[in-house]
Amino acid sequence: MSMGYLKNILAIFSFGFLMSACHHIEEWNQDIEGNFNALWTVVDEHYCFFEEKGVDWNEVYTRYHARLADDMKALEFFNLCAQMLDELEDGHVNLSSSFKTSYYRKWWSDYPQNFDQRLIEQYYLRFDYSSVGGMDYAVLRDNVGYIRYPSFSYPVGESALDAILNQFALCKGVIIDIRDNGGGEMTNVETIVSRFISERILAGSICHKTGPGHNDFSEPYPYYFNPAETGRTKWIKPVVVLTNRSTFSAANNFVSVMQYLPNVKIVGATTGGGSGMPFSSEIPCGWGVRMSACPVFDAQGLPTENGVNPSPGCEVDLDPVLALAGVDTMLDFAVETILNGNF
Amino acid sequence: MKRLLSAVVALFAALCMYAVEDEYRPVTAAYTLEVGTSHLSDTYLTPLKYKGLSIGLGYERMQAMKFSPEKWVMQLSGRLGVNRAENPARNAVMWDLDLDLSWGMMRRWSIKSISGLQLYGGGATLLDVGALYLARNGNNPVSAKAAWTVGVSGMAVYNFKISRLPVCLRYQAVLPVTGAFFSPDYGELYYEIYLGNHAGLAHAAWWGNYFRLNNLLTADLRLGATNLRLGYRANILSTKVNNIVSREIIHSFVVGVSGEWLSVQRSGTISPTAKIISAMY
Repeated sequence: MSMGYLKNILAIFSFGFLMSACHHIEEWNQDIEGNFNALWTVVDEHYCFFEEKGVDWNEVYTRYHARLADDMKALEFFNLCAQMLDELEDGHVNLSSSFKTSYYRKWWSDYPQNFDQRLIEQYYLRFDYSSVGGMDYAVLRDNVGYIRYPSFSYPVGESALDAILNQFALCKGVIIDIRDNGGGEMTNVETIVSRFISERILAGSICHKTGPGHNDFSEPYPYYFNPAETGRTKWIKPVVVLTNRSTFSAANNFVSVMQYLPNVKIVGATTGGGSGMPFSSEIPCGWGVRMSACPVFDAQGLPTENGVNPSPGCEVDLDPVLALAGVDTMLDFAVETILNGNF
Repeated sequence: MKRLLSAVVALFAALCMYAVEDEYRPVTAAYTLEVGTSHLSDTYLTPLKYKGLSIGLGYERMQAMKFSPEKWVMQLSGRLGVNRAENPARNAVMWDLDLDLSWGMMRRWSIKSISGLQLYGGGATLLDVGALYLARNGNNPVSAKAAWTVGVSGMAVYNFKISRLPVCLRYQAVLPVTGAFFSPDYGELYYEIYLGNHAGLAHAAWWGNYFRLNNLLTADLRLGATNLRLGYRANILSTKVNNIVSREIIHSFVVGVSGEWLSVQRSGTISPTAKIISAMY
């Protein structure tokens, strides 16, 4: 073991340390300025819809940074940050603290709600319906099956779907009501869609950021859905998917897949969008931030961030006057669509 | 011809007997508990640096190699580690579970000018799997870790006595040089991987994107048949790929037991003239 040999070993270790030192992680100050810069940067590097929404994020920084003050209270600073995030006009963007969570609500609040659950339960279901696997279901007038699925966060069991579809075996069609369904698990989308397809289908495509630049995106990756396994109940008769503006995120994705299936009509209002799968991060003061990061496109490669339109001729709103009399004009339209058989 | 063949067989058998009876290679094994601090960072999960507790269970096995027991030793080691760290605001917890395995061979040199000192140098291959988990994240709560690497390993062992107590002091560093490791793309969700997009997940490792240095300092107090092992571990792992920087630094105190185990065949006794070649002591 010569000194030269030892020197070589030391040189190797030194080079290794030098290499690891290149793995820099940005440090943020704990003050107002540091937290603001961290929030702006996290969004700048991960948010995926700057171009689609026409947001100049640098200009937003300048405008909001000018409003910072060293003596801001936590709530005051939080509200300023929340306003900055609202510039993105995205329902998937939130800032979360121990005392408040910010939401951008105009994506649905600027539109008619088009849904009254009490109305349906009282006048259509007469409070007599079954529930299983997060779904409420019953047979409506004229022998039309009705499924109400309020959230894709509710796990959908294969046995539950068998039970529901078997009960509808003699029905002329089925209505899947996902008005006010704000999304949830994407895997539940595939579970439900698989009952309405008889062969493998292209469901859509997804891409992700490959770097911090605003246009650093991967090539869209196509993904496919398979039909439910042999032995499971499948549905080949007409289907109406009932939507409103509050049909969002995973529910929006469900509509984007169902719209291209034969025997399926989308009835109601344009969905709320939310096609960017959210990514989470945080800033030094411990507040969490969530934002759209991975755009999902439909089977034709079209974006659905701004929503999915109803099928041609199937746009319909809830008439608020008739609703007072116990009439859901959208649900009635859906029933008539099935009875008319215009698929 | 038949006689010649018989003579060769007899000679070979005699040599084998000689090797078995007169040269023993005990297994040096150690079981350790490691407790210390962890510093975790992973920009896939968060831009913040987390600090907290580190707990690990370690196993190590060393033995002189059969083909040249005086000069070569093999080492097998494994470590199961759990780290729990908090963000600077202390309102979020990151968990880290790691399983590290390594196998290596080292050449050893006895330094004649310093009695009891041996230096070792060689290579090792490492398999590391694990995951970081940050519960507060919705769609990106996990950053999975997997790496297979080959690298260099160096060790210094110094056997001495404190009063009448034999002590074996050892410092070892393992430095992976190259291999392959897993990483998702910059903003790629595991949901996309679940959908089948497996492109670009494996990366060739070099010091520019994967730097790991495992340091271990131990002192085996040879109390009897079983030794008390005390020590200190400092592991550094830093990766940078796809604009994702991940870092794990662990400092732990090590306590455990070690000892030498010898497998004796046939008679169950060792000849007084037998040569015992220890891997470390």
